[in-house]
Amino acid sequence: MKFVAIIRQVPDSESRLKIDGGKVDLSGATLILDQMDEYAVEEVIRLQEKHGGESVIVALGPERFEEAVRTALAMGTDRAVHLVQEGYLDPISQAQALAEVLREEAPDVVITGGQQADWDSQALGPAVAEALGWPVVAWTTALELEDGKAKAKHDLDEGAEVVRVGLPAVFTTQQGLNEPRYPTLPGIMKAKRKELKKVPVSAASKVEVLEQTIQERTRLNKVLDGTKDPQGAASELVRLLHEEAKVI
Amino acid sequence: MPIDFSLTDEQKELQKLARRFAREQIAPVAAEYDAREEVPWQVVEKLHEVGLLNAIIPEEYGGLGLGMLEEVIIGEELAWGCMGIYTIPMASDLGITPILLAGSHEQKQRFFKRLTEKPALAAFALSEPGNGSDAAALRTRAVRDGEHYVLNGTKTWISNGGEAEVVVVFATFAPELKHKGVLALVVEKGTPGFKANKLHGKMGQRASGTYELVFEDCRVPAANLLGAEGDGFRIAMNTLNKTRIPVAAGSVGVARRALEEATKYAKEREAFGKPIAELQAIQFKLAEMSMGVETARAYTYYAAWLTDQGLPQAHAAAIAKAYASEMAFEAANQAIQIHGGYGYMHEYPVEKLLRDVKLNQIYEGTNEIQRLIIARHILSQ
Repeated sequence: MKFVAIIRQVPDSESRLKIDGGKVDLSGATLILDQMDEYAVEEVIRLQEKHGGESVIVALGPERFEEAVRTALAMGTDRAVHLVQEGYLDPISQAQALAEVLREEAPDVVITGGQQADWDSQALGPAVAEALGWPVVAWTTALELEDGKAKAKHDLDEGAEVVRVGLPAVFTTQQGLNEPRYPTLPGIMKAKRKELKKVPVSAASKVEVLEQTIQERTRLNKVLDGTKDPQGAASELVRLLHEEAKVI
Repeated sequence: MPIDFSLTDEQKELQKLARRFAREQIAPVAAEYDAREEVPWQVVEKLHEVGLLNAIIPEEYGGLGLGMLEEVIIGEELAWGCMGIYTIPMASDLGITPILLAGSHEQKQRFFKRLTEKPALAAFALSEPGNGSDAAALRTRAVRDGEHYVLNGTKTWISNGGEAEVVVVFATFAPELKHKGVLALVVEKGTPGFKANKLHGKMGQRASGTYELVFEDCRVPAANLLGAEGDGFRIAMNTLNKTRIPVAAGSVGVARRALEEATKYAKEREAFGKPIAELQAIQFKLAEMSMGVETARAYTYYAAWLTDQGLPQAHAAAIAKAYASEMAFEAANQAIQIHGGYGYMHEYPVEKLLRDVKLNQIYEGTNEIQRLIIARHILSQ
C-alpha cells in the first residue's frame, strides 16, 4: 500500500510576525513543519509500520519548504516529492497542482493537516479530494484500515462520528489522532540520502493577496471602582460585559 | 574562503531536534527533578530513543560518530533546558572518551555495544576525596593478580557513577612513579567489590546523579586495561582536553536561557510607569549578557572546530571552558538581579541557573586549573 502525507512549512506559533509594506515578513520567523501536518506524517509512518508498503511526503511551496520536507523524512518516511512554487497560491489551485502528482503516485491514503497554520484555511484537504474525485474525511481522530476500506473517527462541530470509506481517500488531521514522534538523529542523517524529487510548478493563483494585517490586541484599561458603590459597580460590569464586550 | 561560520543542513536539523527536545522534554521537568534531587531516567530513555545519547560513539560500534561541533550544538540546546539534566549525557560522553581514545577494537566493541543497544550511561572516575586537581596524586590502588587487577580505594564526585554500565577508573599501580604510575581500567556495573553511594545535598545540578565509588578488593579483568600501564594519566588529560568543550557549550546554553528569561521579565515587569526593559540600567545588563553568549559560543565553536580538524586544542578548550562558565555564572547572576525579589525564589527559573552553572566553574578541571593550562601554553612558546 502507499500512504501520502501532504505537508507545509509555516511560522512557529511562538514567532513574532511583522508586517512590511502590507505583507507578512517571515525573515525573523522560525519556520517549522505545520503541526497539524505533523500528525499526518506520523500517521502515514504508523500505517506503513502496520500494513507495509511505502510512505511518501508531498509538498507544494517555495524552496524553503525543503527544510520541513527533510524533517518529515527524518521522522521516518521513505521519499518526497516537492512541487516548487514561489509566491502565494490559493488552496484550490494548490489542490489542482497536487492532484496531478497524486494521480501519478496513486496512493491508497492521503493525509494532510486539518487546517493550515499560516493562512488558517481548512480547504486544502477537501480541495485535494475534490480535485481527485476521492472521498474526504475531515478532522480525523482515529484511522484504521480493514479489507481495503478505512474506518475513521472524526470530529463534528459538537460531537464525533465513525465512518467507513472506500479507498483511495483523503483524510485531514485533528489533534489527538496520534502523538508525532521526534525526528531521530539517525533519521536526520539518513534523511539526507533519501530521494527528494523537485518539480518546478508555475501555477497561477486564482486569488491575489492585496494586503495583510496582523490583529492587534489592545486593552481598554477600564477600571471600575468597587469600593464606594459595590452594587453599582457590579451592575456597570454586567452592562459592559453584555453590551460592549458581548460575552454574556 | 578560509572561514565559514555556517552550519550544514544536517547540523541545523539536529540543532532543531535538540532545541525542541529541550523545550518539550527537559525544561518542563527541570524544576521537579532539581527539587527531588533525582535522575529523570525517562529523559535518558527518550534521549536514547531520538539518538541524542552516546552519539559520539563511532558508527561501526553502533553510534552515530558525531563530531565535537555537533556535540557542542546539541549541548547548548540541552543545557538551555537544564544544565543538570544535560550533565547526564555529557558525563556519559566523558566516560566514553577514554575508551574512544585508548581502547582497542575489541574493547570498543565490547563496551560501546552496551552503551548503544539500550538507554545506558558511562562514567569517568578520576577525583578522590583527598585529591581533585592534583590528579597525579591519586591513591586508588590497582594491583595485578594474574589475569586481573585488584582495585582498592575511593573515588568521589563521579557523575553517573551509580547508573553507569561502564566506569573508567583511574588508579595507581606504582604510587612512587606519580603520574607515570597511573592506569585506566574499565569497571563494569555489578562487578563484585564495586559499590556506588549517591551523594546528597548538592547546591545545583541536582538532576544529575553524583556518586562516591568504593572499590574493595574489586577484581577487574586485565582485558579491561585501556592502553598500557602508565598511560592512565595521559588518557585522562587527553580526555578532559576534549570534554571541557561541551562544558563550555552547556554554559552557553545556561547563559542564553538567563538572557531569554531576563528579557522576557524585563518586558513584562513595570516600574516607574514603564517596563523595566526601557531603563538603561536593565538594557546594559541585557547587552552584557548578549555579548557574553555570542563571544562564548563563537569561541566554543572554534575549540570544537580545532578538535574536529585534529589540531591541538588543549589551550582552546581551557579558554572556552573557563570563559564560558564564568560568563554564564555572571549572566545567571544578572538575570536574578533583573528579576529582583522574584529572582531569588524557586518559582522563577533563574536562581536555578546560577546554582547549576556554578558547577561548570569547578568540574572537569577547576577554572584555576584551566588558567594553568592556558599559562603553560603561553610560556611554552
